[in-house]
Amino acid sequence: MPKIVHYRNKCIGCNSCVEHSPNNWKISSNDGKSDLIGSVKKKDTFVKKIREDEIVENELAARDCPVKIIHIFK
Amino acid sequence: MTKTVEIMAPAGSYESLHAAINAGADSVYFGIEQLNMRARAANNFTTEDLKKIVAICKKNNVKTYLTLNTIMYDHDLTLMKKICDTAKNSGVSAVICSDIAAMSYAKSIGLEIHLSTQANISNIEAVKFYAQFADVVVLARELTLQQIKTIVKEIKEKKICGPKGKLIGIEVFVHGALCVAVSGKCYMSLGTYNASANRGACLQNCRRSYKVIDEETGDELLVDNKYIMSPKDLCTIGFVDKLIEAGVNVFKIEGRGRAPEYVDTVVRCYKGAAEAVSNGKYSKEKIDHWITQLEKVFNRGFWHGGYYLGKKLGEWSGEYGSQATTEKIFVGVVQNYFKKNKVGQFLLEAGSLQEGNTILITGPTTGVVNGKIEKMIVNDEKSEVAEKNSVVTFKVDKQVRPNDKLFVIKEKKSA
Repeated sequence: MPKIVHYRNKCIGCNSCVEHSPNNWKISSNDGKSDLIGSVKKKDTFVKKIREDEIVENELAARDCPVKIIHIFK
Repeated sequence: MTKTVEIMAPAGSYESLHAAINAGADSVYFGIEQLNMRARAANNFTTEDLKKIVAICKKNNVKTYLTLNTIMYDHDLTLMKKICDTAKNSGVSAVICSDIAAMSYAKSIGLEIHLSTQANISNIEAVKFYAQFADVVVLARELTLQQIKTIVKEIKEKKICGPKGKLIGIEVFVHGALCVAVSGKCYMSLGTYNASANRGACLQNCRRSYKVIDEETGDELLVDNKYIMSPKDLCTIGFVDKLIEAGVNVFKIEGRGRAPEYVDTVVRCYKGAAEAVSNGKYSKEKIDHWITQLEKVFNRGFWHGGYYLGKKLGEWSGEYGSQATTEKIFVGVVQNYFKKNKVGQFLLEAGSLQEGNTILITGPTTGVVNGKIEKMIVNDEKSEVAEKNSVVTFKVDKQVRPNDKLFVIKEKKSA
């Protein structure tokens, strides 16, 4: 199953990932960084399994992330 | 001349913060979380750091300015308000903003506002408009000295006051990086990497070398200097008297991403220059000395004068990265400091030392300590040389602390 790994600490809250995949990403009202909705915290990262059909939009999110903290594993 | 000018230093880390205070800065500016122009920086302060920074600065009688000066989107507003509230509660002297959202919220909670250079204020009407919100404005870096003078004169004539009821203060950048675009108007990094310079995520691709190729023929044009978009750094040490005479109140030093020794050197030079102007001792010899000092720390070569001395096309860097004449080499860490005898004990975990070496010690509480090794004891015996992995003690005039870093300063071969 494909998954997203998010190194959240370095997020600058640009909102690009939310625009590409609003079902998976949301800006936190707590600290303004992006939350990977429904993810599990693993050490410094947040990990979430996604469906095949969600890969494309999340690859766009990874491509447009200005700090390159979104990684997609297929 | 008795006018005093405020020297404002960048504080991107606790090391730089202490370096700025020890070097005599009157104020510091810094960002927390991500809504500031160094959001990408590795060691950004957090909300928890804010109170600590303010406490350290208050103790040392240094003003604190919090940068909150990026472009803001709707999704940033909650965080922006939170940062303003925290700033207000922590007793920060002022916030530096450029987005109207931040200005109007800060005003609504009675937080002092300074206008960022990101707002590129370039004329008196703009000053008048922003005076509704701000007590100090940072003018655009691209103005000439004459334009600055005229703006200050008109502020006085028209009695343009900020919310505090005092004449609007004028702040300018006196030293550090210049941008190829007018500050706040560059979209190169956003256009190429979706990393917005105006959100503190600039990838500085303007700093690289470029080729110009004719697509039709494939011919490459010969470009004299491939660094066609990388300006040299601003240096005004040679005419700070003119800036003071023009009515500038605050000298701002660029470089929240720079090392503590950069902050230390640059603050000392500009503080010294401002003092020399006020007591009539500003001289050619002193200027030459300060320039030599400034060349030792990070620089892309200096554009002496910047836009302030006329609108000729900027000077281009010609090289990637720093052209500092010295470099620092990490050799070890502090293990202990014996206050009574002013002796430091060091573990050389990364390199060797020799008598006569010029050294630098940096730490989050220490800031920056410079020195020279006169005599040293290596593994309990007198020695002129200390190899890697040995334990060394030698005299250090100022207090250093366990885990502070020890560097050797060497002349750079290429410089």
